[in-house]
Amino acid sequence: MMSTFWILLKYEWRHFRAAKGLVLLTGLVVVVGLYGIYYGTTEIERQRQHLAELPALAHHNVEELKKKFPGPADAGDIGYYHTTFAVHHPTEWASLALGQRDVNPYCVKLRLLGLQGQIYASENVNPTKVLSGNFDLAFVLVYLFPLLIIALSFNLLSQEKEQGTLVLLLAQPVRPGTVVAAKLTLRLLLVLGLALLLSAVALAWAQVPFDERVGMWLALVVLYCLFWFGVVGIITALQRNSAFNAVALVGAWLVLVVLIPGLLNVYVDATQPVPQGMELTIKQREEIHGGWDKPKGETMNRFFVLYPQWRDTTTIKERFVWRWYYAFQHLGDESVRPLVAAYTNGLRQRFVLVEHLAWLSPAINAQVSLTALAGTDLPTHLAFQQSATRYHDALRAFYYPYLFRKVAFTHADYEKEPTHTFTSISEIGTAASGLWKLLVSVVAVWAIGLVLLRIRPLNPC
Amino acid sequence: MIRSIAQKELVSTLRDRRFVVLSVLMLGLLLAATLVGRASYRTLQRERQVAQQTVNDQFHHQPNRHPHRVAHYGSFAFRPKAGLSFLDAGLDSFTGTAVFLEAHQQNSVNFSQAQQASSLIRFGELTVAFVLQLLVPLLIIFLCFNAFAEEREAGTLKLLLSQGVSLRRVAWGKITGYGQAVALVVVPALALAAWLLLAQESFANSPDAWMRLALFGLSYVVYFFLWIVGAVVVSARQQHARTALVVLLGCWMLGGIILPKATANLGANLFPAITKAQLDAKVHEEAQKGINGHDPQDQRSAALKANLLKKYKVDSEEKLPVSVGGLVMAESEAYTSKVYQQHFAALTRTYERQNALTVWAGLLNPYQAIRPLSMGLAGSDFAHYVHFQQAAETYRYQLVQRLNGLQASMGYGDKERKLDAATWQAIPIFTYEAPPLGWALGYLLVPVLALLLWVVGLSWLGLRAIDKTSIV
Repeated sequence: MMSTFWILLKYEWRHFRAAKGLVLLTGLVVVVGLYGIYYGTTEIERQRQHLAELPALAHHNVEELKKKFPGPADAGDIGYYHTTFAVHHPTEWASLALGQRDVNPYCVKLRLLGLQGQIYASENVNPTKVLSGNFDLAFVLVYLFPLLIIALSFNLLSQEKEQGTLVLLLAQPVRPGTVVAAKLTLRLLLVLGLALLLSAVALAWAQVPFDERVGMWLALVVLYCLFWFGVVGIITALQRNSAFNAVALVGAWLVLVVLIPGLLNVYVDATQPVPQGMELTIKQREEIHGGWDKPKGETMNRFFVLYPQWRDTTTIKERFVWRWYYAFQHLGDESVRPLVAAYTNGLRQRFVLVEHLAWLSPAINAQVSLTALAGTDLPTHLAFQQSATRYHDALRAFYYPYLFRKVAFTHADYEKEPTHTFTSISEIGTAASGLWKLLVSVVAVWAIGLVLLRIRPLNPC
Repeated sequence: MIRSIAQKELVSTLRDRRFVVLSVLMLGLLLAATLVGRASYRTLQRERQVAQQTVNDQFHHQPNRHPHRVAHYGSFAFRPKAGLSFLDAGLDSFTGTAVFLEAHQQNSVNFSQAQQASSLIRFGELTVAFVLQLLVPLLIIFLCFNAFAEEREAGTLKLLLSQGVSLRRVAWGKITGYGQAVALVVVPALALAAWLLLAQESFANSPDAWMRLALFGLSYVVYFFLWIVGAVVVSARQQHARTALVVLLGCWMLGGIILPKATANLGANLFPAITKAQLDAKVHEEAQKGINGHDPQDQRSAALKANLLKKYKVDSEEKLPVSVGGLVMAESEAYTSKVYQQHFAALTRTYERQNALTVWAGLLNPYQAIRPLSMGLAGSDFAHYVHFQQAAETYRYQLVQRLNGLQASMGYGDKERKLDAATWQAIPIFTYEAPPLGWALGYLLVPVLALLLWVVGLSWLGLRAIDKTSIV
């Protein structure tokens, strides 16, 4: 029994090598996959370079300020003119799945002013390029590998049938199931081999640390391919002609990879409306600029409720003092606190909803899981924004003693200023739940395929 | 003869259950996409109008303030959606919606929908343009892949040719028939779009919008024609229907998915753009060479003051009829804006270079010709976006300079005084006029040319190839 299987497998392999079109196609997928790896790594390398330039820019700014304020200066002036950066470093994994790193800024320029007016500043992006999307390994695996699987296997049995060879084949002492198994095994080995090879190249190229994430990535990739083979199995079991199979498989690809995500996007937009971010920036501006027109005592008392430790007894009589200025900047942020929470919660809930709906399409599931593993999706960006908010708090905490105790800011103090760094974290939990969902989908399609093969005996003509 | 072949194809297509199911599905999708696009257009448009109205009202109802305070208070510009963007959202989801306009500083356009969406948006948005550009060609492929193979296998092709009809005429007949079938799917959707446009008062009387819609429809007619001719030619050249199908699907994937992404990514790799941090630093660096409005120790400010004293023939700043501070601000704004404009123009040029690769790829790939054409006609392409950015910057500059002028006219000691609240109501608000069709077409020459070349080339070469095909 086993030996027939091996013979069949060997002949399938010869068939495959003889089919120039298929070899060409497989070669093309390898080239395209390598390009995806190249693009992903160069893109992340470019982002890393940009991030590496920021300390120089910050240093330049300090030099400029030292020249502008040669002696001890008012910390208020420094806080106003001094710019620092909150930076979001990618993990090594980011090169494999760039996710939303191209639309969400990976660095934020901060001054001591109100945070909400600064944190949403977007990076320079070419919208045409962003519309086309990233050509990374995740795209190749999620989008193109199903197509490769379809191209390799849409005529799995139907070709033999159409050429009349299936009758001859089954006239031999061979079980029909063995024929299907041998044909499927060769294609499985080929596709999984390619997917694992490309993944291995990418993992080595990106120099990812060897931990459980490697296993998860490979498991996700293998399961995703297995899912598509399961779909092929179902269509094969229907025993229709090649043209029908091609149409049905491309139809399945279209529905799962294109239509369902498109429809879900519309659905998520409609059912989970996010309060527009612009609303909060408008309100924050109104609050901040209203600060100039309100009595100074009122502003300061509101501020001291939040920061009793800086309560001083002196009433501000001057036309302008920095501590009052920064107090109403901060009160502007405080006034929109509920709006900010609603905005970020809305975004997070959108993500959660998508995660739930990922049951409907393994493609969405794979994409969500791979970007979660790479730390390049929305939750990571929200975590970065939170970290930038904490950095802004730290900056204020650093400057407040100078402002409220009226301590002069000297050249040595620049060094003491807090700095910020944030590196994406892989969301193992999201990836694991994706893995689980994918496993269920795989079992489901394979079960359906096997049952269909069982109940419909193979018809050789 | 062509007509009767066409009629036969149409009738047999309509009898084919698979095709009818597929067509009804496609038509449903098109209608749904039109309605969804329209609903989202209205929501976004209303949100932006309300937001713009809010900031305008806030601006006009400011208390007594010093003009430079008002310049820092600034305003917002919200990018209105273009009239036809409900058919093709183009870049709209990837470009920001709001830009804060303030003194001394040019801000980025923030809050793009892509930032507020999950990774779902990366699978593509379900818009009318998406259905027309990618899904209808698939329908065409399924419709036409066995145009010849079937007749060949059934032996009817020989019969047909024995009656003295040339292969080329048969092909034309089939192309006409399939064209009619596709029209049955697409025309109702475009009619719905036109009807929706008519229902919208602001566009009902706008010849520009109607011309855009007409050209939009026309370019898709050309695009579908291309696909039908291509599919029929492939079907005639391939011995078997299944190979024709695989070849056509391969072309669809290469042209619709792989190439557009690859060229866009390659463009970004070949022509790297400057980051925002770098751009800001450069602008700041060069702006230092000009006058600095907020630095009283600035030597150039002193020179300006000396000149003013000479001009008005007075010996002290107190006696000047104008405020030195206001004039210094105006001068500084003029200089920094000039510097910024230069850098912004350079950045835009870099993006245009990146995009040029994608647009020129239209010569190889009709999808990359129809996409920019469709976006351009719908008013949602890069050129329209840059137009908005520039309009917002122009308004910002005029607003700030007007406020600087007000400050200058307050005379010496302006800092201690405020202007009346009524002053702000006299300042015009930001209004955005989308550019006309003629302007948009100027950016669409390459895609139009590419599409025309494809039509001529494919009809000529393809049908010549059909002539040479063996009939058995």
